Amino acid sequence: MIWLTIVSMAALVFISRYLFLEPRLPLRLNDNLQKVLAYAAPAVLTAIITPIVWISDHQISLSIDNSYLVGTIFACLLAYFTRNTLLTVLASMALFFSLM
Amino acid sequence: MTALTTPTSTISNTNKSEFWQGCLAILPLSIAVIPWGILAGSLAIDAGLSPLESQAMSAIVFAGAAQLVALGMIKTGAGLLSILMTTLLITSRHFLYSMALRTSVSELSRAWRVLLGFLLTDELFAIMSHGKTQCHHLSRWYALGGGVSFYLCWNLSSLVGIVAGQTVDNIEQLGLDFAIVATFIALIVPMIKRKSVLVCIGISLASALLCELFKLSVGLLISALLGMIAGHVFTKISGEYQ
Repeated sequence: MIWLTIVSMAALVFISRYLFLEPRLPLRLNDNLQKVLAYAAPAVLTAIITPIVWISDHQISLSIDNSYLVGTIFACLLAYFTRNTLLTVLASMALFFSLM
Repeated sequence: MTALTTPTSTISNTNKSEFWQGCLAILPLSIAVIPWGILAGSLAIDAGLSPLESQAMSAIVFAGAAQLVALGMIKTGAGLLSILMTTLLITSRHFLYSMALRTSVSELSRAWRVLLGFLLTDELFAIMSHGKTQCHHLSRWYALGGGVSFYLCWNLSSLVGIVAGQTVDNIEQLGLDFAIVATFIALIVPMIKRKSVLVCIGISLASALLCELFKLSVGLLISALLGMIAGHVFTKISGEYQ
């Protein structure tokens, strides 16, 4: 049963990652759709982290006690001014864990 | 080096160098995923999987969020169908990634397509989007370097979790999820080169908040789509060059 679960999950995940890479799939992306898809990275990444940062106990938390929010603002500033991914990740995590 | 061998060796050197550039570009994300890999390994043992099954899950499924959620469901005795429905929901964002990469990847050979498709995580998509804006074309070797090194890191950290085998109490309170936030922020911010990207992020953020407050399980997909459409609509209205 575990193996069946693992293999069928793997199949689902692979299909979702591969489907549109298959040239035989009869789909032509028109110009508008391609331009919309160019925004996939910022849109999806933002949608993934938003609930982690802003929500605690199903409520929006805007307080300075929300170390996720403080850490996020710090990470934004670091990323903007340094453009260094590794530095941004390590320094903002250091701040975050010192606040926790 | 003779003149005859120079062209081929130059090509292979370029490939090698692009491969390493990919490894380097994804390195911060590989580091940030280590605690998650450890967690996936130890949670698998905790859910009753054998060490082999636990490692196989990380090696074959290779999808952090889907694995962690599925392991929680296995532990509580959920049925296969509900596990798969949940997996589909979590993994659906990858449809967007593969569609966004269709133009550049679908023309590669089948081996390349399957390989890059298998390795297509959030992290790989992020560095591929980033790399594309920097050098205006997508290097498959760069993508492969990022994908393979991230895969190794995920599986090695899972192995550590399997060997350690202990369950961590109060996982939610450890703040591991901030590692995801920090890496994604570091990726998103440099993408903001035009106002329309900012609009896209703003709409995606607002929608994700609303969906979370209303506990919509498809919130991620809805919010991502709204953000993408908003970004494009903004360029049309404002006449922003794209």
